[in-house]
Amino acid sequence: MYLTENDVRGIATYARIGLADDEVKAMTIDLNNIIESLKPITEYDLTGVEPTFHPIAGLVNVMRDDIQIDGLAHNDAMQNAPSSADGQFRIPPILGDGGEA
Amino acid sequence: MLRSEYTNLSVVDIREGLNAGNFSAKEIADASLSCIDALDAGVVDAFLSTTPMLAYEAAEKLDTNSAKSAQVKAGILAGVPIAFKDNMNLMGTHTTCASKMLADYISPYTATCVAKTLAAGAIPMGKLNMDEFAFGSSTETSAFKLTRNPWDLERVPGGSSGGSVAAVASGMVTVALGSDTGGSIRQPAAFCGVVGFKPTYGVVSRYGVVAFGSSLDQVGPIGRSVADVAITTDAICGRDPLDCTSQDVNPGYYNSVLAAQQKGIKGMKIGVVPEYLEAPGIEREVVKALKGAIANLQELGAQIVDVSLPNAQAALAAYYVIGPCEAFSNLSRFDSVRYGNKNDVVQTAATDLGSRYEQARAHGFGPEAIRRIMLGSYLLSSGVYNTYYYPAQQVRTLITKDYQQAFEQVDVILAPVSPRTAFKFGEVGDPTSMYLSDIFTIPINIAGNGGLSLPVGLGEDSGLPVAVQIIGPQFGDYAIMRAAAALEQCYPDIRRIAPLMDSLNASANGLKSPERGVA
Repeated sequence: MYLTENDVRGIATYARIGLADDEVKAMTIDLNNIIESLKPITEYDLTGVEPTFHPIAGLVNVMRDDIQIDGLAHNDAMQNAPSSADGQFRIPPILGDGGEA
Repeated sequence: MLRSEYTNLSVVDIREGLNAGNFSAKEIADASLSCIDALDAGVVDAFLSTTPMLAYEAAEKLDTNSAKSAQVKAGILAGVPIAFKDNMNLMGTHTTCASKMLADYISPYTATCVAKTLAAGAIPMGKLNMDEFAFGSSTETSAFKLTRNPWDLERVPGGSSGGSVAAVASGMVTVALGSDTGGSIRQPAAFCGVVGFKPTYGVVSRYGVVAFGSSLDQVGPIGRSVADVAITTDAICGRDPLDCTSQDVNPGYYNSVLAAQQKGIKGMKIGVVPEYLEAPGIEREVVKALKGAIANLQELGAQIVDVSLPNAQAALAAYYVIGPCEAFSNLSRFDSVRYGNKNDVVQTAATDLGSRYEQARAHGFGPEAIRRIMLGSYLLSSGVYNTYYYPAQQVRTLITKDYQQAFEQVDVILAPVSPRTAFKFGEVGDPTSMYLSDIFTIPINIAGNGGLSLPVGLGEDSGLPVAVQIIGPQFGDYAIMRAAAALEQCYPDIRRIAPLMDSLNASANGLKSPERGVA
């Protein structure tokens, strides 16, 4: 057992996913099973082995020519917003109703 | 044009026939749409949306006599019906990633790989079903529908590019694009008896393709022959200033195919991994197909050499660390603010931004997406990072070195694609068993090499398509094309279109009605 239900609640909060209590239960079982299957990674002797974060070796700071490229038009960038007003993305208050700032 | 005539045409046949005036692009578009009408809804269910307007626009451009038409007609995909996995943006179409999260999303721009096929003269027929955000190996995690394997409608097409392979295997389109993060082009291609190719990481631009695992994802083509797949790769490869990982390499994929067809592959060194033949869970018919391919390659004058990939066994674990971590990061952009499901957001009564995120993401993502996001979130957390993520990247170095050493001895490696043939809906229930479908494809994504799934006939036990995988050195994809094109010639009689189409054509003559799916 790697994770308790409480741990899973914490992860869900960090990942910004609202889980119901029964979902937390199922997720705890699934995640523990998956983490168990990752064991081979922890059993290797990796002393002195460099990590490979990217499959193409030697790829650093790829630059393009410094020329102006137009981005999306304002309306096009807004077209998929679930909620907008005055050409801006509309969201609920960040602090909610309890904000005292 | 009859449907049966259309489905027999290769990419070269279509281009040449069009340029010789034997048929028009509109006739091709009509034939493709007629197949989609007959076989898709309620039967194969490969498409999430079709684009007949765009198809006819493209056809008209090819058919109208003008300077522009001459230019498009000269394109290497002129007149070829193509469809795209639904994680690829095509301006003005829905791009949903088969997720409720993007159910309303309309692409405001076009992915480079998609744009390149259209510039080469292809006719866009629509967008194809997939596992949600490409998380899966059966297309069952799609939020919208199940896609059925055209060879047996009770079975999965594989995944995550299940819609892409099913559309090609049933004859609805000539080629399709898919994406492959751990086997998502090669495994479904094997399940549906078509050719699927994941080029070396960096060969094709990912700009405009919704990201899953950025150090693993690669776009590639699916077709009914090695030549069709090679030509499509020629069309989509190359450096793109909009994707800094894309590389300026084009080995001339189709030229490699032609060279192998003409000159053979005598003396080519083919590696086989003896332990793969005894891998746990591998089916007898898969081993038999692999041995048959080895014998055929020997017959062609290739030299078979045993190679060892001692660290490949850790690839699955490394992948289920690296993949979810990258997915967790990539999927954080789905915050329901810039894009998201309009109805869910309206319905959620969140009074602060934090709860809005939580509710919208819980509603928008399906169970497998949530599992992977949660796993990635955990694995990257402080304290845990050093136990899994960092060591996984070190294991990645060992796996990459295994391949480098093997390719000092051989030109390509021959391996299975999947340990088994297509399974039934619901047959593989728990996530960790599903992950095992990709044990032979995942190491290639970890190392960044290219791999191609080549159908070699039907399994003697299941009667379903079986395939072998040809793996090349990094940026040595031309060797894959050579070996695949030569080996393909040893199987002249295998069908590349599922028998589904026969029953349909027969029913058009009043002989038999097509079988209906029962998933």
